[in-house]
Amino acid sequence: MQRRDFLRTAAALAGLPLLAGCQQVLGWGLPVEVLRPGMATGHRLRDAATLPPPRSERRVDTVIVGSGVAGLFAGWRLAREGYRDFVLLNGPEPDGNAAAGAFDGWRYPTGAHYLPLPSPESAHVRALLAEMGVIEAGSDSLRPTFDERVLVHAPDERLWRDGHWHDGLLPRGLGADDDAQQQRFLLHVKQLQQQHGADGRRVFTVPTALASQDPAWCALDRQSFASWLAAHGYTAPGLLWYLDYCCRDDYGSTLAHTSAWAGLHYFAARGGHAANAEDGAVLTWPDGLNPLLRHMRGRIGPDKQLDGAAWRIRQHGKQVQVDYIDATGAQRLIARRVIVATPLHVAWHLLPQLTGLGFQRAHLPPRTPWLVGNVLLDRFPVEPASQPLAWDNVVYGSRSLGYVVATHQLIRAALPERTVFTTYHAFADAVPAATRPWLAAASADALFEQATADLYAVYGPRLRRHMLAARLTVRAHAMASPQPGFLANPGLAALRAADGPILFAHADLSGLSLFEEAAWWGDVAAQRVLAA
Amino acid sequence: MRDRLLILSVFVVASCGLAYELIAGALASYLLGDSVLQFSSIIGCYLFAMGVGSHLSQYVKDERVLDTFVEIELLVALLGGLSASALFAVFAWSGESFRLTLYALVFLTGAMVGMEIPLVMRLLHQREQRFAELVSRVLTFDYLGALAVSLLFPIVLAPRLGLARSALLFGLSNVAVALWTCRVFRAELLRPTVQYLRSLLVLLVLGGGFIAADELTRWNEKAVYGDDVIHAETTPYQRLVLTRWKGDLRLYINGNLQFSSRDEHRYHEALVHPVLGALPWARRVLILGGGDGLAAREVLKYPHVQQVTLVDLDPAMTGLFSRSAPLLALNGGSLRNPRLRVVNDDAARWLEQHADVFDAIIVDFPDPSSFALGKLYSVPLYRLLSRHLADNGLAVVQSTSPYHAPRSYWSINATLRAAGLATTPYHAYVPSFGEWGFIIAAHRPGYTPPQAYRVPLKFLDREATRQMFFFPPDMRPWPVEPNQLNDQRLVHYFEQDWSQVIR
Repeated sequence: MQRRDFLRTAAALAGLPLLAGCQQVLGWGLPVEVLRPGMATGHRLRDAATLPPPRSERRVDTVIVGSGVAGLFAGWRLAREGYRDFVLLNGPEPDGNAAAGAFDGWRYPTGAHYLPLPSPESAHVRALLAEMGVIEAGSDSLRPTFDERVLVHAPDERLWRDGHWHDGLLPRGLGADDDAQQQRFLLHVKQLQQQHGADGRRVFTVPTALASQDPAWCALDRQSFASWLAAHGYTAPGLLWYLDYCCRDDYGSTLAHTSAWAGLHYFAARGGHAANAEDGAVLTWPDGLNPLLRHMRGRIGPDKQLDGAAWRIRQHGKQVQVDYIDATGAQRLIARRVIVATPLHVAWHLLPQLTGLGFQRAHLPPRTPWLVGNVLLDRFPVEPASQPLAWDNVVYGSRSLGYVVATHQLIRAALPERTVFTTYHAFADAVPAATRPWLAAASADALFEQATADLYAVYGPRLRRHMLAARLTVRAHAMASPQPGFLANPGLAALRAADGPILFAHADLSGLSLFEEAAWWGDVAAQRVLAA
Repeated sequence: MRDRLLILSVFVVASCGLAYELIAGALASYLLGDSVLQFSSIIGCYLFAMGVGSHLSQYVKDERVLDTFVEIELLVALLGGLSASALFAVFAWSGESFRLTLYALVFLTGAMVGMEIPLVMRLLHQREQRFAELVSRVLTFDYLGALAVSLLFPIVLAPRLGLARSALLFGLSNVAVALWTCRVFRAELLRPTVQYLRSLLVLLVLGGGFIAADELTRWNEKAVYGDDVIHAETTPYQRLVLTRWKGDLRLYINGNLQFSSRDEHRYHEALVHPVLGALPWARRVLILGGGDGLAAREVLKYPHVQQVTLVDLDPAMTGLFSRSAPLLALNGGSLRNPRLRVVNDDAARWLEQHADVFDAIIVDFPDPSSFALGKLYSVPLYRLLSRHLADNGLAVVQSTSPYHAPRSYWSINATLRAAGLATTPYHAYVPSFGEWGFIIAAHRPGYTPPQAYRVPLKFLDREATRQMFFFPPDMRPWPVEPNQLNDQRLVHYFEQDWSQVIR
């Protein structure tokens, strides 16, 4: 590749806040846009393309590299504390896994779409929600009052099984034994919610950094969730399907590839309550978690947000040099501290000195590819009166993760004239290295078929008549999956502890791709900057 | 002469055949929608059935050809002639077997019609017509008949006679062909008298049907709505049906009664005047819902009200109530009043997107019968509403029945309170609805009902108003929870309440 070509492409990619996808028309006439956020820039970075000398050099106290949840949270915290001498580099994938899009004003998520009620340990998330007005009162109490518009409205979940919808996601009525095992499991994890380790800390918490370090409990991480379940007599197919679905939904991995510690964490760590909603309620917006990010960007201010993709981060003595590329060419930032808020597989290529910090290639957490589909419909499909359309709609036995309805939280006198269904598929069953080439090369038709498998299972081909457009977002390195042993990853521990000129902030540091984890590490990095 | 008659009968028979096909297609599109699918599937079924009929015609023995022709004519007359009325009836009385009946009727009629032409050709052939000439003449008249009907049906018959009568008219034409054949070919028929009598019987049935068709249609629609339907319209949002029975005008939306002109004054006076009668300074009024203009009629009685904004989703609804003469008589032309502004928008979205403040707000939303509608009775919506309410203004909310649906009614009251509003519940007896409830909401407590009204009213006076605010022991408040969007208790309450009322 010629350097000029590379520059032009990379600049275009780095400079555009919303990446233009490639627009195609499916065989039967539906316009489909396929987005592969960050792919082109990321692969050039991987292929070690070199930059021309920088056109500009700017000194700033702190640079935040990356604008996903961790980067924006760090920026939000700095701005909130009155610290002003920083910039945030948006990167080729603005908003990261909490990005969103819109069809002509109909907003939808292209990534994460909900946040569980934050437990008291997630004080950092509560502070953000309180500033936004989402927590109306009692931010520090056990049961804060939340803005009802954001608490997921009823009906929240339903499960498609044997050609009918059933209330809730647990497959009930599959036999007395299955029902009994489900009951037993729920009781079991309820007890684990209150379980404390020898060090007096809760065993399972969000953020995981506050969890007990008691080796007796950490030992759970040495086995898979599947083998833990088998050892505890959980064998019922309905229960196992549900748990596998949960692992794929939150971690992108199957029971057999999920650490037992992580599998139990899903159920036992979410201890949040609300004064005006039952436990287990979640917060959601039409465009998923994106409003949280928009709020943080608003607090940071547009003048501190630079469009551009980091290319090289080097420490020279007490200074850090961040070379990046934007629409006009290569630029350089020189800072006292840098918060690297990119996924670690990107940091690996940005930072030649990463190994010096104690992080080896083998420490990179395994990552699962995801495909998110958004389909604009010109009307709502016909639903049974007894089980109307819910916010989250899941198909029993499916390898996909169902669909959420972007217009669910709207308060309207009549059904909105349009809606967007957002489908999720985590490629948990195949080896990621085999899936990624397919995702990079797959035709729009093939991706569409994969993304709409659950919609097809439920509504059949007749739903096509109501489809106006689709956007498919391919996230080939979407999230770190907590495989057995992830807790003991020494590389992650080293980066978590880093407190020099280069700091790290990303959910990858926890090994779990959760908003609260990302925000936690953003917060920790910001506090370290503020402390120095 | 006789041959000419046979050729003429081909013309009639072909016209009738096509007519039944068109009527079935039109009826199916009218009742089921999706006209492309209905027409093409009916034409397909009909043509296929004609093929089956033609095939079967070979089994008719030569000596029975004429008799069979008469019999087939009579069968087609009965089947086709009564098809529209029968399908209407099936749709009205047992919606489920409609499709089956439709295609069975289309198939049978098609098969009969398919036998007609081959039989006529054989008749002519028996009478030693030259084959080339025979084929050419029969088919010419066949297609001419089709042309005549395809023009006549949409332009004249369907609009003037309606589907039921058009079908009966074509049935009568089939009988006429049969009768004529009996007369002219009396000598050649095996059993002329029997055929004659049969023809007269069918004539009688269809003739009676033709005279009684209006009655029949009305009877069928009554089965659906109970009364004469004077206007029916399916809009993108809802199905509007207006009925009249002895001067009682009723509006149904999606099959639910919205008002009866006999007692709507009770509902609308009770909805509007406790609020406006207590606000002699009110200038600006907002009405949410109420596209029938009846609440607006009551509001506009107050000369001090300068501007009324009415937000109703459906332009077809507000259009109907600002055009139709009987409806204009009912709402007094309120929707055309220069002091009133109609906004066709979703009321909840309009509240979100505008900031106007009103002295009085009248909320006449549909009952909370679904999760979607339940959101209109929620704390967030009422908070939004209170932002549009002037500091010392009043809002009133249609709140279901405190007698029939006490959980729902008191849950709405609790929800308004949870939104920080001071509430005053009241109720009125509306014969078509039963005991109906309303709730007045204000920023501060201290509402007192009006002692007198300065505008002419039929239902409310000092004493009737006093009674509205009195809750007898069997309508005392229920201890229920406010409606929260994340569990929508109100929708469950509403279901629970009405499941105990409707038997």
